[in-house]
Order: sequence, then structure tokens, then C-alpha cells
Amino acid sequence: MAKTVDQYFDDLRETRVWRSIFRSGSGSSTLHRSLAIQQNVFLHLFSTKVRTRMLSFSATWYLGTLTLGTFLILVATGIPLMLYYHPSVPQAYADTKDLQFVVSSGIFLRNLHRWSAHAMVFLVFAHMFKVFYRGAYRPPREFNWVIGIVLLLITLLLSYTGYLLPWDQLAYWAITVGSNIASAVPFMGSKIHFLLLGGNAVNANALLRFYVLHCMILPLTAIFFVAIHFWRIRKDGGLYSHSSEPATRRTESAAKEVR
Amino acid sequence: MADPKDFAAGIDSNAKKAPRRIVFVTRRTSAQVKAETEDQVQTFPEVLFRAAVAVEALAAILVWIALIFNAPLEGLADPSHTPNPAKAPWYFLGLQEMLHYFPPVVAGVMVPGLVVMALIVIPYFNINIEAEGFFLKDRQRRLRIFYIVAAALSIFLAWFHVIVALVPTLIMAGLMLIASRSSPKSPSAFRRYLAARPLSYWVMTWFLFELVVLTAVGTLFRGPGWSWVWPWQGS
Amino acid sequence: MKGKLKAFWSLLFGDSVRAFGVVSLVFLASLAIAPSKNYFSEWRHYQRGYLKMVRNRADAVTLQRHFQGGIQQIWLPEIGVVDRCESCHVGLKESSLANVSLQPYRNHPVIPHKLGEFGCTICHRGQGAATTVSEAHNSTLAWEQPVLPAKYVESSCGTCHRGPVPGTPRLNEGRRLLASYGCVNCHTIKLADGATMKPTDNPPSLSHIADKTSREWIYAWLKDPQAYATTATMPNFKLSDDDARDISAFLMANSTPISGDTLAISAKPSSDPTAGASLYGESFCASCHAVQNAAGNVVGGDVGPELTRVGSKVKPEWLQAWLRNPRIYNDGTPMPHYRFNDGQIATLSGFLLAKTDSDLLANVHLDPSTPQQVAHGKRLVSDYGCASCHEIAGIKKPDNFAPELSRIGSKPITQILFLAGMPHTLPDYIAGKIKQPRAFTTGLKMPQFTLTQTQIDDITTALLSLNDRANSLPPSMTVAAPSESNYQPAGQAGKLIHDMACMTCHRINGHGGDMAPDLSWEGSSVQRQWLTAFLKNPNTLRPALIRRMPKFNLTDSEVNQLSDYILAVYQSPTVDRDSMPLSGYPAGQVELGKQLFYGKYSCQACHIVDSNTDKGYIGPTLTQVGSRLTAAWIFQWLKDPQALRAGTIEPNRAMSDEDARAITAFLMSQKGGKQQEAAKK
Repeated sequence: MAKTVDQYFDDLRETRVWRSIFRSGSGSSTLHRSLAIQQNVFLHLFSTKVRTRMLSFSATWYLGTLTLGTFLILVATGIPLMLYYHPSVPQAYADTKDLQFVVSSGIFLRNLHRWSAHAMVFLVFAHMFKVFYRGAYRPPREFNWVIGIVLLLITLLLSYTGYLLPWDQLAYWAITVGSNIASAVPFMGSKIHFLLLGGNAVNANALLRFYVLHCMILPLTAIFFVAIHFWRIRKDGGLYSHSSEPATRRTESAAKEVR
Repeated sequence: MADPKDFAAGIDSNAKKAPRRIVFVTRRTSAQVKAETEDQVQTFPEVLFRAAVAVEALAAILVWIALIFNAPLEGLADPSHTPNPAKAPWYFLGLQEMLHYFPPVVAGVMVPGLVVMALIVIPYFNINIEAEGFFLKDRQRRLRIFYIVAAALSIFLAWFHVIVALVPTLIMAGLMLIASRSSPKSPSAFRRYLAARPLSYWVMTWFLFELVVLTAVGTLFRGPGWSWVWPWQGS
Repeated sequence: MKGKLKAFWSLLFGDSVRAFGVVSLVFLASLAIAPSKNYFSEWRHYQRGYLKMVRNRADAVTLQRHFQGGIQQIWLPEIGVVDRCESCHVGLKESSLANVSLQPYRNHPVIPHKLGEFGCTICHRGQGAATTVSEAHNSTLAWEQPVLPAKYVESSCGTCHRGPVPGTPRLNEGRRLLASYGCVNCHTIKLADGATMKPTDNPPSLSHIADKTSREWIYAWLKDPQAYATTATMPNFKLSDDDARDISAFLMANSTPISGDTLAISAKPSSDPTAGASLYGESFCASCHAVQNAAGNVVGGDVGPELTRVGSKVKPEWLQAWLRNPRIYNDGTPMPHYRFNDGQIATLSGFLLAKTDSDLLANVHLDPSTPQQVAHGKRLVSDYGCASCHEIAGIKKPDNFAPELSRIGSKPITQILFLAGMPHTLPDYIAGKIKQPRAFTTGLKMPQFTLTQTQIDDITTALLSLNDRANSLPPSMTVAAPSESNYQPAGQAGKLIHDMACMTCHRINGHGGDMAPDLSWEGSSVQRQWLTAFLKNPNTLRPALIRRMPKFNLTDSEVNQLSDYILAVYQSPTVDRDSMPLSGYPAGQVELGKQLFYGKYSCQACHIVDSNTDKGYIGPTLTQVGSRLTAAWIFQWLKDPQALRAGTIEPNRAMSDEDARAITAFLMSQKGGKQQEAAKK
């Protein structure tokens, strides 16, 4: 039975349509598998081969992958949410209420979006600390670490801008408290505050601004940097494997000498 | 080009001074760094499927969370009624906790600014790359610096009554003291472990500890007027 | 066993493709059941329950035809109403479901408004947009104000109806209490139409109190006002002995005498209780003043103070001066100037001074006051805001002494400190605060009022109507209160009307009391001869009533002055008193009128024309109506009674002009004959 399914699948892969899309063709040779990665616009960001040891759960805890996963969930749920949402005062709140009480599965979409957003912030932090404790920031990966920090900030901004959108008390005052910190910047604090909110207080302008940032500018920026982040993994020699790195090996040998 | 066997990818013996590799590109190969041969698997299908499994498992868990727990939604935003306490999103509550003690320009601008700067420059300092036990080399001088920094930080935090930040600092300082008195040959695995920790480890762990404690305190233990409440007290 | 588990594990997750397949299945299954959250939503559950309940009823087909599935909502954007209550309360409009015990399916009781005209939450509060029971009914993070308990629901009528409405006795009474208990002396209440609620309690001035009473009585009164008079509206400030002593010291020291205020008459207070009681009765003192009888019931009106123990309070010489002319001590008092003669004053003062209570002041022993006590008393008077209600020489009436209550009905629950064990709802807080004002924290000044639970609920209802919604409604949706004018009659007659405090009982041009008939159009309605006779010696129009017009001992010139003024000034624009003759109607028309009176319109059901046969006691007796009222007034009254006196119970019978004219002729023939002449003699 399983065989037949495999055969059908192989037949499918031989069709003209399939071949026009995936050029690597059928076959499970190393070449074919390498081509499957190299000739895909998304997958070519990754290297074609990965050290076996890096597949183990303890090596990475899959934190980067999971972060990408939450990002995908957020995009997938965010788009239908946008269909029911007007970034205006006080319609935004009424729309959120409608999502909760009237729209079919609206509350499910909103729940999933919100919990995934929290999960993403948590996972990004966890990813950062995991990378640090594994020492994976070491050369030649130092710039990818910096990109990671940028992605951390983008994630925080994404979450922060999204926090305002329901336009409820929780959102309003969280953003008010958060944005007031910006006013503390010496000399240009009030200017930054004004620029951030599009006014001197959290109001309809701020809502629109945060909406545009949350739904367009920040996701696009995030995608841009995520692409670089992945591409750099390949360019920097694949996932960091502790003992294969020259610096580490030297330290360990040094430690042996001390002993 | 000559026979590829004539060339060997070399590793600089002193990565500290020259952390770069020289790669010889021969015909029909693409640029690839090859540090050492090691067992490798094809990304497709092995890695991609594993990644997909991880993402799907997480998604399934999140779906269940979304089915069971509803996202909070409070009353319509009302600028004239300030909730007490007004809290920022949870990941900023560490900062808000700091704002309770220090002027905004310190807690809101300098601290996060310095944290971000520090995170960015981590890979650009050799001391972070060497990864040697902090107290193994130049012990006396480093101990002196540690004493001065730890004491200054503790006094500073105590001066401003930042108990929630002082406690983790003291715990970390205590651990570092143990580390300084441990040798890599100690019979205790824990002491061996501590002895081998580099400076970057200590600083980052201290930061992580503070971050977790401050965020947890801001999220769970702060009530009206930013006063201390126990989570089970309720209002 | 372990091996089997291991085999099972490797069967599921043995290699990455297998694991991918299994986890994908789990993930897809999770996604597939996600819509169940929507399917099992509460409103669907209730709609299914409704259809199940309806199925076994006789009128199932009708109800099923009326039923509409899905979310039902009332959307009124101009007042911000999005009410989805009918998604679960499916049978609200089905009159046949009146007795259904199973909620949420019972129908809505009949109300003056159409269901859906204003939505549900505008009356019941709660979160209209919600479609789950707990979110819609309870106080949640998203919506503070839960569904209003039924006993307070009249408060919502008050958001639109700014004046009294017949269907809302609780709200009307609550509003009246707010004004008459002096709540608004301390708490400013700005009404939604911009006016400020005015007190009606008329607290006495304390600037000359030493003329009137003793320091011992003030002390006893301050300690417990209700010990002196159970109906006293003065609240109990729970003063310590020392504080009461010092305040009484200050009030006595601060008091200045008024000349003529304590002018005793030569005659001594008479001790004849029968004569006193009969004069008290004849003067209808009980219309305004109450007295506790032997059974402990308080009988009488509540316009003036209760007199049960008045002999323990007032000084005899002050009482006599007051009875002679109350305007000397207090020009604005609602008490009429009765024009008693010295004998009457002696009788009445003797009667009143005998009303003592030996227990009241028995334990009050005050040493002469010291300057420190007086100074401390003055500070206490300022601290407790005594001057908010009472005029006290040398102390300014404080502005906004207590928190403003203009929007108390929308007070955020987060700003409220509740008592332990108290339900965290706004109505409970307001009621609790009225019931035990000092319990909430220490240092509170609000005194303890003596109110029944019903009165507390009434006041709570009135306060709940002062909410944000009331202040944000478009004017087109509100029903304004009848405007209270400041009308004061002018000239010599005006002075007389003021002197006799006519407007304590009578309403004229939108100002005055409601104890006696409105006199705004009295000039159009009555004949001069009757009016002068009535003013001289008021007999009663409605013998069934306890409250009657007292006799004021007016002189002839005063009577003429008053009659002229009333007849000339108080004219209705729609009734020309001279348009119809007072007599001389053809006998045929009179007879026709009589037939209509007894036949077609059956007026005798409420009125008496022939005292031998008629038994109607609801309306006024009409035996002398022909010498009392003008024909034009009777005619217009028959045509449209409500146009002449809004709210009268006289039905509008939609009479033709001919019928009305005939009945007018008949009524004008009722001159009272012998009785009238007997009265003249």
C-alpha cells in the first residue's frame, strides 16, 4: 500500500507540470536532494548539508525554527484579522468586540494571534540566550549575531505596536506607559515621543501609525532580516557546532595542558 | 589549476590574531568552508522534515491554548481613567520596575541603550571569544576588579533600595566567589564547571537573572501604586 | 511491555518522514476542531434549547415561524447601542411566553416603549455586545457595569426622563428624597440639562437660635436628632459628648437676638387642652406638622417640623411671638402668618408647650461654656460643614463640601473602596454608603441618616440615574423636567400671598406646593362672590380630605385686595370668563344637561349634585357649583379637563359642544340654594 502511494508520488513528480515547478526531478540521490535545496528560492538560503550532530534536540532546542514557526502563524492569523479591523477610534475596539463575539471563529483567530505573539517574544529571547551560551556568536558569525539583535528589537516593536490595536484600556495604558519612556531621552525625547505617536498623546493618530507599522513596515523588515539571518548561517559555515570550531578546540587543549 | 591535492585548507594557528580562513576554490566547487570533516546529512529531507515537525507541534500546542484561553480584552480606552497600576507589556515590565527606582533617563534610556549596545558588541571582544575560565588567568588582578565591581554595584543598588535587583546580584557574586576558589581539577563536577566559566558567561547570566527576576516581579508582584502585592492576594 | 511501547514509538516517530506525517495529522486535527469553539458558543446552545422547548408547545408552529437563528442585534449608532441580548433571549417579543419559567426564554413584560426602540442595555445595563452570559451580565474587565438588579431598573428611566414619570415611583421618590433630605446641600448634583438640583428641605437659620431654644436642647439634638423627633431629617453626626458640648456653646455664643422675636403676649399660655386641641385642628396645623400619638404613630404632614416634644424645645416667649407672626424670626418660612388674636395665641401656645418629654433633657447638664469651647465649636462647625445646610452668622457656606454626585451612576468600580464582604457592584456601594457612611474609612464626615431600606433603595435608584449616558444623550432623546419657575406674585397682594405663605400649599405659575389646587387660572374659574366668601371663611370643597384650607382671619380690605388680584391676574388664556353668562339658561337646556349628567355621562359616579341620591365622593361635590365656578370654565373643563389641569383624573369624554353646553347649563343651575343663604347669615 505504502509502495503504491510512493509510486503515485513519483509519477506525479515526473509530470510536466511538476517538473516545470520543481526542477530537481525525481530521484533520491545526493545530487537530487542538493538540487532540491539549491534550486528553491526559499530553501537556497540554507546549506544543502547539515552536520548530523546539529539535528539533536539539545544542540539548538530548535528555538530559531520555532521562532520562525510563530512568525508564520502570526502572518497566517494576522491577515484574516485585518479583514475585520478598522484602525480608527473607537471603531477599532468595536471591531475587536465583534471578533470576540460575532465573527465566526474570530475569537480563535485573535487568541491564536495573541498567544503566538507572546510565544514569539519569549522564543526570541530564549533563542538569543541559547546562542550565547553555546558560544555561537563567535567569529565568523559575529555579524549574524548582530542581525539577531536587530531581529529581537523588531520582534519587540512588532509586539509593542500590535499591543495597541485592540484599543482597550490594557492597550492604551500599556502604550502610554511605554511611550512615555521615550520622552526621557535627553534633548530630543519629546520629539521622539511625538514622532512615535504622531501626536503628544496616544490617540487616533498613534493607532493608525502603529497599525501601519504593525501590518506592513515591521513585518517586511522582519522578513528581510530573517532572510539575511538564514543566508548568513550557510555563509558562516552552517550551524555552530561547538567542538568543530578552532577557538573552542584550542581552549579545550589548553585546559588539558593546565591539568 | 593543478591537482587539488596540492592544496590543503589551512587553519591559522592563532585565531585570536587572525580569525579568518583562507579558502582555495578549485574548479566545479562552490565556496564552502570546510573546517573538519564530520558526519553530515542532506538538508532535504532530513532537516526540513524535522523543522516542520517542530513547527507543527508548536502550532498544535498554540491552537489548543487558543481554544482554551481567551485573549484579554478590557474596557474601551479611556484617557480620563488611569488604571492602577498601568502596566506596559510584560517584556517591558523589567524596565518599568527599574523606572520605579531610577529617573526615566537612567532606567528608560541609558539601561536599555547600554544593554542593546553590550549585546551587539559581544562578538567583537576577544575576551568573549577565548572562553577561558575567568579566574584561571591573571587571577589576582581579576579578583581585585571583581571585588571592586561587585561591591560598587551592590552598594549602588542598596543605596537606591533596589532590593529586587540587589538579591540576584549578590547571588551571582556569591557564585563567582565560589568559582574563584574552585580549580578545574576539583573533584566536584559543579566546581569544575564554575571554574571553567568565562567572564562573558558571568555577565550574561547576571543579566538573564536580573531580567527574569525584574520581569517576574513587575508582572506578578506589583499592585496599585506599584506597591508590593502577592499574586494570590488579588484585589 | 516496554519493548512494545518502544516499537509503537518508532512506528510513529521512527524516522523524520513518519514523524512529520503523525505530527501533521495531529496538527490538522487540532485545526479541524478549532471551529468547534464557535459551534459550541453559548448563544447557539440557548437557541437550540429554545427550539427544543418550543417544540412541545401548542403554539409551536407560530413560535417556530417567528424564530430567527443566528446573532440577533439591535444597533442604534446614534446612542452607541449594540445589543445582542436577543441572540439568547429569543422569546422576548412572544407574548405567549409570559409564564415560561425557563430563562432566557420568558417574554419581556409590557413597557411604555416598543421593545427594540432603545435596545436592552440602556435600561438593564450589562454589556450588550457580548454573546456569552458571563460577559453580558457580569462585571468583567471588559465591562464594569453588570446587569442592573431589577429593583434599581427605574434609574435607567431617569437617564432620559428628567422629571417625574407616573410609572417610576421609586425614581421619583428617590429624587424627592435627595432634595428633601438635604443631600444636595453638601453634594452638588448637576443635572444633564445643566441645572443644579436644589434642596427643598429648608433647614432653619442658626444665627438667632438663642432666641428660640436652650443650649441643653441643642446638645441633645446634636447627639441624637431622632430622639427628639422620629421624623427629623437632620442626620446624626455621631458627635462625642465634648464635641456636642462645644458646638452648642458656639451656636449659643454666636447667636444674635432679633427685636420682637421673643415678645411675649400679656396673656399667659392657657392650660386648656380641649380648646388648644380644637384650635390646632381648626387651623389645620396637622396638614404640615406631625405629632406622635399614643400608639407611637406619627400623624400629620411633613412640611413643618414634628411637634411631639416641642414644649421641651422652644422658649415660651419665642413660641408666642412666632405664632403671632413667624415672618419676624424667619421671613422665608413656609409657615403662614395666621393673624391669631392674643387669646388664640395663649390657647395654642399653652397646648404646644404642654408637649414635653421629661427624658429628653434629663441627663443634659452643661457647665457655662469657656472661650476655648466656643472656638473649638466653631472649628467643628466648619469641619462638619454645618453651614452647608444651615445659615450661621460668621460662617460662609462652603462650596462643594462633599464630593459631587453628578455622574455617580457611572463611577468606575476600580475607583471604589468596598467594605469587606460587600458585593463589588456600584448599586451595592451606593446603598452601602448611604446606609453606613462612616464605615468605609476613618475620618469620614458624612453623617448617619435615618432612612428605611426602601428609602435607601429609592435614593440609590435616583443616584444611579446620574450617569455618563444621561450626560451624553442627544437632546432629542430626553424628556425635560417640568421647569420650576421662581414666580413670586407682585404688589400688595403679592405681599399678602407671601405673608400667608399661600404657595406653601398652592402652586401658581409653575411655582409652589402641591398640597392644594393650582391657582394659576383661578381667576378664570371662580365667581368673585364665592371667592371673597371663601377667603373669609374657607369651607371645604372636598369633605373627604384631611388637609383643608385654614382660616387666616383676613380683614375685608385684605380679602378684596386678594380677590381683585386673583381675578385680574390668574387668567387662563383659553377661558374667557365673561363669554358665557352665570345664569339664565333655558329650562330645556338645563333639563337636557341633567339627562346627560345622569344618563350618557354618568357623572354621579364621582360627583354629588343631589346629596340625597348621589353617592360620588371621588370628585368635588357640585351642589353649589353654580355659585362657585364660571360657566366658561365649566364648559372648557367638560371639553378637555387635562388642558386646564394637567394630570387631573377627570376623564376627557370627548363631548360635543352641544352636550357640554347643556351640562354647563345644568351645573350652573346648582346654586346651593338654602345652604348658600345659610352660609351668608
